[in-house]
Formats: sequence, structure tokens, C-alpha cells
Amino acid sequence: MTTKFLVALTLLAGAVQAQTVTGKAFGTYVNAPGVTSQSPIATLPSTGGMATGQADAFGVAGAVDAQALNAVTTGVADNKKSGAQSTSELEQVSAAGGAITADVVTAVATAYFGQFTGGSDGEGSGFANLVVNGQTITTEVAPNTQVDLPGVGYAILNEQLQTGNGLTSYGITVNMIHVVLQDALGLTTGEIIIGSASSSVAR
Amino acid sequence: MNQARHLSLALGAVAAVLFAVGCQDAASPPGNITAGVTPPPKGGGPCANFRLTGGGRVDQRDHLGYAKSTPESHDFATFGFQARPSSKCPPTDGSGNLEWNEHNPAEFGGGFAFHGRVTFFTTPTDETAADGRCGRFGGFGRLNTRNNGTLEDVSFEVNHACDVAEPGVGNDHIKITIGTVYTRHGILSGGNIQQHRLTGNN
Repeated sequence: MTTKFLVALTLLAGAVQAQTVTGKAFGTYVNAPGVTSQSPIATLPSTGGMATGQADAFGVAGAVDAQALNAVTTGVADNKKSGAQSTSELEQVSAAGGAITADVVTAVATAYFGQFTGGSDGEGSGFANLVVNGQTITTEVAPNTQVDLPGVGYAILNEQLQTGNGLTSYGITVNMIHVVLQDALGLTTGEIIIGSASSSVAR
Repeated sequence: MNQARHLSLALGAVAAVLFAVGCQDAASPPGNITAGVTPPPKGGGPCANFRLTGGGRVDQRDHLGYAKSTPESHDFATFGFQARPSSKCPPTDGSGNLEWNEHNPAEFGGGFAFHGRVTFFTTPTDETAADGRCGRFGGFGRLNTRNNGTLEDVSFEVNHACDVAEPGVGNDHIKITIGTVYTRHGILSGGNIQQHRLTGNN
């Protein structure tokens, strides 16, 4: 009861305070031995608005190949209502030497404040025709599903990382494919991120 | 320069016909995109005193729920936009941008990416006209199909974009028409649409 009262009080106070939004999205990021590369990034201006980052194709040999990369982020900070929504999409994706493939990878990250509510979610994120280690995945991939990639390392699929304190700030980062590269000893040597979208709001 | 532009438009019109012929079974009715010929609807709607931003995903048609389509169908679209009216209204000029990606291979051009520039903004004139949570905007844009076709100066209209509630998933809804060959109308399966008061330039 007391907690609910405090939450309501804080949100009411926030309704007259300045709010901030952030948004970011990109198709691919590769940080592997000898190579660091990233596709165009969409970064939401601090004043809100819209940004895009697009490429017809992107490839790093042995790490990732993808087509039709499209990253978009939009948002506005307002006293009454604020929100940021970011999407990243790629098609014909192949990662980690073909250990993971998908027809379409879609990341959606949403963060919002209404007058009396706030939150963040990765709803709308998903894969089309996802294949991992030769196995076709026909069901929805639960957030933060980890799979081993023999000879490569492991991958976290539909990685969802919540940010913010859940009271005056909310946020989420969605990485649809996050490959952690490991050597023979299991030591991390790099990473590949495919389909990344982040959004946050704060007051 | 003008000759090149006219050639481009002519090729676009031919391409539109070819695509339309190839899409007899598409979810949207076949037809020709009037590239650079027919201006988008402008005016005719009440002035709006708000702006809209949004982004996310639409799967189900009309208002038949908001579940994601089966992955193998590729039957969904993703979008992002910002749109606002001009500082004085009338006229109902507007500004902003829209990105719309249709993934359904049965749609125009085997699916497409559309990049639109907003030129007008009003309140809706369709069945959502009385709903103060909705806005309407449109303009022109470039359409790149999955079949490697590009059409310039294609008109579009977001017939309505409605900020029903937070969160947007399962609540907010949007209807878009591009040229005469495509329309999608549905409740958001991801993302959000927000209506904001007019302040500054953002």
C-alpha cells in the first residue's frame, strides 16, 4: 500500500518534471580478433524526433552476412507523456559461419511514460525461419535463450536487458542474436550482435 | 535532369504495372502506383493541434487481435514515424518522416521498404474522425521492392494513427495506404504510438 502510494506520488511529481528519452538501433556489430565493424546506427537526438541507419548489405567474413539492414528509432520527451521506440531489422542473416541463420530478424524495444504509467518491453521482436546448429526453430524464442555453438562459443537469442529503476526510469535493450566468441579454453575472444534496439525514458 | 526524372517516372509506372500483374493474389488489390502524378490528399481535414511519433510492428489485419503472425508467413510490417502539422493551420501542411517495411511476399513487389516524407497533417477523416487520440498524415516517398524495383514520388497516407493507451501493444492502431496497391490496418503487436502537444520543432 505504502509502495503504491509512493509510486503514484513519484509519477505525479514526474508529470511536471522534465523528461528525457533515448533510442538506438543497429543491424550488426562485430568485435572479433583482428576486426571491429558495425553497420549504420540510428541514434535518437536528445531532443527527440527520428533517426535511421540503413544498408543494403553488410558482411564480415566468417562472422556475419545480412541484407536489407534497417534501423529506426523515434521518440519524444514531453511533460505529460514520453516514449521511445526503436526497431532493427535484417534479412537473409547468417552468423558465426552459418551456425545461425534466419530469413528475418526483428528487434523492437519500447519504453514509455504515460501520465500515470511507465514501462518498457521487447514485444514484437522475433525471427522468421530461424535455424540454429542445423535445427529449425519453429516456436517463439523466449527472452534470453542460450544455445551452445560448438567450436564458436555460445549465443544468447532474444537477449533482453532491462534498464532503469522501474520508478522514474524505464528502458530495455534487445539483441536478437548475441554471439559470444570463445577460444578452446573457453575464454571470451569477441562478440557478434545482430538486430539490436534500445529505448529508455526517464523523468 | 528533367528528362532523366521523367524517364524514371515512366519506368516506375511500367514497373508498377508489371508488379501489379504479378501480384494478382496479393492481400492488397492490384493496381498502379501513380508515381509523381497524383498528389496525395491534402486539406479536407480538420486542423490538428498535436504531433505524433511511433514505431513498432503490425501483424494482424484490421482489428483481429494483435498476435504475431506465424514466422513462416512473413506476414507483418514494421514502421517508424514522426509527423506534425505546420505552425499555422490552415493550410494543413505538415512535416516529418515515415519508414514502413512490409515483409509479406504476397504483397506488392514481394514486400517492400518505403521511405516517406510527410507533407500534410490533419485529424482523421475516416471512421476514427471523432476519436481525439488519432491523427492523419501523408505525403510522398520512395518505394524499394524486394523484387529489386524502385519507385519514386509514390504517394502515401496514414489514414489514422491512434494513441489509445500505454503500452501501445494491443492498444494503439494504425492504417496506412501506399499508392493504390497497398494498405495495412492493424493493432500494434510491438512498439508504441504517442500523441504529444505541439512544442518547438520536435
